[in-house]
Amino acid sequence: MGAEYFTEEHQLLRASVRRFVEREIKPHVDRWEEEESFPRELYRKAGEAGYLGIGYPEEYGGAGADIFMGVVFTEELVRSGSLGLVASLGSHNIALPPLTRLGTDGLKRKYLPPVLSGEAIAALGITEPNAGSDVAAIGTRAVRQGDFYRVNGSKTFITSGCRADYLTAAVRTGGEGFQGISLLLIESATPGYQVTKKIKKMGWHASDTAEIAFTDCLVPVENLIGAEGAGFYGIMANFQAERLALAVIAHGAAQLALEISLEYARRREAFGRPLAGFQVIRHKLADMATVTEVAREFNYRVAARMAAGAETVREVSMAKNFACEACERVVSEAVQIHGGYGYCREYLVERLYRDSRILSIGGGTTEIMKEVISRLIIP
Amino acid sequence: MDFELDEKTKERVDHFKEFCRAEIRPRASPLDEVPAPERILYLKKNLSGLGRQGYFHCLLEESLLHKCLLGEHLAWACGATFLAAAASGVAFGYPLKRFGTAGQKERYAGRLASGEGTGCLACTEAQAGSDLGGLGTKAQKKGTGFLISGQKDLVTNAPLADWFLVLAWTDEACGLASGLTFFVIDRSAPGLAVGEPVETMGLKGAVTAPVALNEVFVTEEAVLGGRIGQGYGQLGETLEEMKLALSALALGLGTACLEAATRQAKTRLAFGKPIGLFEGVGAKLAVMFTLLDLGRMLTCYAAFCRENGEENAPSLASSAKLFTGEAAREIAHLALQIHGGHGYLKGHPVERLYRDAKFCEVAYGTSEMLRAAIARDILKKYQTG
Repeated sequence: MGAEYFTEEHQLLRASVRRFVEREIKPHVDRWEEEESFPRELYRKAGEAGYLGIGYPEEYGGAGADIFMGVVFTEELVRSGSLGLVASLGSHNIALPPLTRLGTDGLKRKYLPPVLSGEAIAALGITEPNAGSDVAAIGTRAVRQGDFYRVNGSKTFITSGCRADYLTAAVRTGGEGFQGISLLLIESATPGYQVTKKIKKMGWHASDTAEIAFTDCLVPVENLIGAEGAGFYGIMANFQAERLALAVIAHGAAQLALEISLEYARRREAFGRPLAGFQVIRHKLADMATVTEVAREFNYRVAARMAAGAETVREVSMAKNFACEACERVVSEAVQIHGGYGYCREYLVERLYRDSRILSIGGGTTEIMKEVISRLIIP
Repeated sequence: MDFELDEKTKERVDHFKEFCRAEIRPRASPLDEVPAPERILYLKKNLSGLGRQGYFHCLLEESLLHKCLLGEHLAWACGATFLAAAASGVAFGYPLKRFGTAGQKERYAGRLASGEGTGCLACTEAQAGSDLGGLGTKAQKKGTGFLISGQKDLVTNAPLADWFLVLAWTDEACGLASGLTFFVIDRSAPGLAVGEPVETMGLKGAVTAPVALNEVFVTEEAVLGGRIGQGYGQLGETLEEMKLALSALALGLGTACLEAATRQAKTRLAFGKPIGLFEGVGAKLAVMFTLLDLGRMLTCYAAFCRENGEENAPSLASSAKLFTGEAAREIAHLALQIHGGHGYLKGHPVERLYRDAKFCEVAYGTSEMLRAAIARDILKKYQTG
């Protein structure tokens, strides 16, 4: 599968992550889902193995930029069966790219190494209760006072937000609209920074999601990422990698649901033959395999174009929509094939069904993706 | 066909809807969230309240159309309560009322109708879901009674039920058509043990558990209707009733989704206007409305045909459940999409409704089994050439 995209190095990483997932995650993942958290230690272990540095410059403790290394890591992590764990362990991959791309050398030296080694946790804070898809409506204010910004406001739906040490936050430094938005790196230890709620969700249970409030947080001016008022651009540029990652999670989850269903259909008997002996089930599996493979191959293609430095806004949006919808269809059919058991907690497809539902909402809803695509294809 | 209700019935439906809104709906969220033992307490409150409202009396005595009408309102308020009530009043109540002996009705129907007693149907086993041929539970003749042994699974209401309607082989050699028999067994029967409740994706308030039967002795009086070998036919009739009940469940869940989505579309602002004014969101509402209304008409039609013993009634019951069940999943999906991330949060009704809706596609006949059944009927009925 996708052999042309992966070198021997990629295969070595795949084997290494697969072992890591088998040894460090799978034996505990059901409990972590139950407890709605996983040990902070896992970040350190993943950091030590070099996984968290994938995609970041070596001078800051990274493993070098290589999009397909990231794809491999995500695909293998999904095989843990907990998409929430994938999201939280990888939350730095939405928090750090703006810093890597736009931040000063000093800022990068200070914040990248501890996160990439797994000592510190990074999260991205864009969404607010009244600013979701409409990013330009952000209301958190950052007012310049000498060498500091005084920050007031709140954020919600922040993945890894309950225990993040650093938050890449979108704040309003200027007037209304997108031109007034800036990105600020805020340490959670800053007085006035408060996690106001651990949000409970339909799925992604192993991942913590926070509501965060800022009350007169004083953030040093040097923590500004990029130029003042250029935050919207930084946010939008960041979305491309996040959307590709979500698309990869989607095809990975679909692949996992497909494999589990194939196994169940071969084993489970009804009316004297295995489920796989029924044409309706066989064709279902054929459809599941088809959309999964198309999604995966298109994702690889888009990743390759991205790696080549091409402009891919349209393709990434298409990839996200296609893969997330394919995934939802596959996990729904996986539950169907399992019948009543697919509705019970003990069966992994039950979790995949709940976990998948957020993929077509997070990082830009299906509808917003369609807005993006339509603007680009209609001259 | 006339689905128009008289004034008196309309009043009663309105009254029942108000009861569901005031008494049942506030418990929908706790029923989804608290641990199983507490869920049972909430559920019992709901069931006895429904008993006082005459809901179980309606399930046992009234027309299918009335049952579906009231049922939809209950499902709108709380899907889990609806399912638990249906598991008692329909899955247990219908075969009791339709096939039970005078003695059995006298013994169970009164307490069932008042909501004081709860029943359940124990049919499914680990190796026997849609395929009853895989059943392993056996009833062996012992003196004037039977010894029943086997493992039932996914029994809705088992943790709180007073009575279990258990399907078992009385003569495997006779095959499905005359080898299966239903037994009504009291919870207190020695050898009957209810296992730990299983965690389900949705409808969590309708607590579900496995039931083990280890040489449970029952007298001949426990045989439903007094004649052995009738189980298969009795189950078929019962499932047909349950298909219409599940249609009402799907419609109730769908209506709740449409209401929530409409509220969100009118109040949530993005890009300077309520999101309902975006064509894409408006179109979603239109689809939800259309699916619901089509489903409601089909369900009423299927209920009417069953009530009147029409030949196509079994196919229609299947297609009503198939259509409304798949529509419920689609409607819940659209409702959640309109809510964005907020719809994914615990405590938001749409989050629960999305999980609840998937039940309609897998329980009491998966969509796949329903399609197969409809196809069988069509192939039998229509001549070619």
